[in-house]
Amino acid sequence: MEGHSITKVVLLACGSFNPITNMHMRMFELARDHLEDTGQYKVVRGIISPVGDAYKKKGLIEACHRLEMTRLATESSDWVMVDSWESLQPEWVETAKVVRHHYEELLASEQNIDDVDTIKYAKKRRIEENHHKDRDELQLMLLCGADVLESFGIPNMWKQEDIAEIVGRHGLVCITRSNSDPHKFIHQSDLLWKYRKNIHIVREWVTNDISATHVRRSLRRGQSVRYLLADSVIHYIKEHGLYSSESEQKNADVVLAPLQRYTGASSS
Amino acid sequence: MAARRVPLVLLACGSFNPITNQHMRLFELARDHMHSTGQYQVVGGIVSPVSDSYGKQGLVLAKHRVAMAELALQSSNWVTVDEWESQQPDWTETVVTMRYHYRRILKEYERSVGMHNNSNLSPQLKLLCGADFLDTFKIPGLWRDDHVEELVGHFGLVCVSRGELQPERAVHESDLLSYRRHNIFHVREWVKNETSATEVRRALRRGLSVKYLLPDSVIEYIHQHNLYTEDSEMRNKSAVLRPLVKQAQEPVKSLDD
Repeated sequence: MEGHSITKVVLLACGSFNPITNMHMRMFELARDHLEDTGQYKVVRGIISPVGDAYKKKGLIEACHRLEMTRLATESSDWVMVDSWESLQPEWVETAKVVRHHYEELLASEQNIDDVDTIKYAKKRRIEENHHKDRDELQLMLLCGADVLESFGIPNMWKQEDIAEIVGRHGLVCITRSNSDPHKFIHQSDLLWKYRKNIHIVREWVTNDISATHVRRSLRRGQSVRYLLADSVIHYIKEHGLYSSESEQKNADVVLAPLQRYTGASSS
Repeated sequence: MAARRVPLVLLACGSFNPITNQHMRLFELARDHMHSTGQYQVVGGIVSPVSDSYGKQGLVLAKHRVAMAELALQSSNWVTVDEWESQQPDWTETVVTMRYHYRRILKEYERSVGMHNNSNLSPQLKLLCGADFLDTFKIPGLWRDDHVEELVGHFGLVCVSRGELQPERAVHESDLLSYRRHNIFHVREWVKNETSATEVRRALRRGLSVKYLLPDSVIEYIHQHNLYTEDSEMRNKSAVLRPLVKQAQEPVKSLDD
């Protein structure tokens, strides 16, 4: 059977998921449709990785709740799942490290089909050896909205080498929201432009702006959020009394972890 | 001492071809809004899919549209589907549908009035719609003037704004609607959500995912019955919308969504 090989893709979404909404879940569906439509990819898995509490974003509630809500929301999906690794780390973890971690895990699980050798260092060596070879067969891509892409430009938010690793060695699938122009943003960044082939822009023709911020606001005001998020998630929120004026004030005076970490570091 | 609230039922007429999460959001938004006025207690919601004789392009059989709405509303404890309109032999004017439901509601209410003694205010029925609905009043031949008057003057509208449409403008530009503006309730939908049944059908035709835009049970039903194909979208393509014929005006091109 002649033809190009199809690259298997795993989509990884990092974020607060505070709480997870139908829009987050839609991103996966849109990304999968888009990539498979090119004929070059087969999306085999989606991973949602909620950020740890140490991120210190205003209004961020405990990771244990955000994990459980995400688990509930993904129950009806046969390919998207939640992963707790990032949220369990004691310090905030750079997205590039999360990508790296999941990529290594994926390679390892592919290797271990016949593999009996469980010695850690041998496994690591094998992963590194096979790294370049497997790139064509399995790719991990970061799934995000245009706002994340544009956050690459915020001073001290990202290390340049991390951006290079994500878009250079892996890939980015970016769902455009109504009011942004990601192509222009890529054009204006030499780094992004260099790796433009690895950046997939997905136009969301039907605007679906269900932001978690809006959902939290509605919840605070006792307004219905039905049909914006999964019923099971709404039920969980009510059961645990999440999202109040108090919870929204959490971390109000605290500096976001990446900004704290990188302030003073020069950006190229 | 709580003020007495008028018991209110919201009725949504439409194609529901298919029903989407956005349709169900309308009810939620409207209920929250009417409650917040302090004057109403929303006691029920009715989804009334239009009959096949409406003649709109791409309309699939009423039995499917009703079944899908039933699936979607299974988890709702206050909104139900009613098939009366869809089962009438000919297309039914919205006002006639409203009168039917109002009579029914009044009867039920009178039967149970002994049990609920905290309000002896008579129940009301209002039409729930999107902002684009107000613009249809302008289309020649689509509405009878006396019907618009009864709809807006006697019953009332709860109109949810969506996207860029400004319902206040439609009201302003119509003398009749302006006169009755106290009976037109505007609900702002702050979340910009352009999910429409048209878009859903388009995605389905192209084999794209519609998950999280409508309930899983409805998606399953659609696939089971293979609804919404290129062929189904061609149905009624050259037909004239039934209301335009029935109301005996000059033939006008049928409505696109």
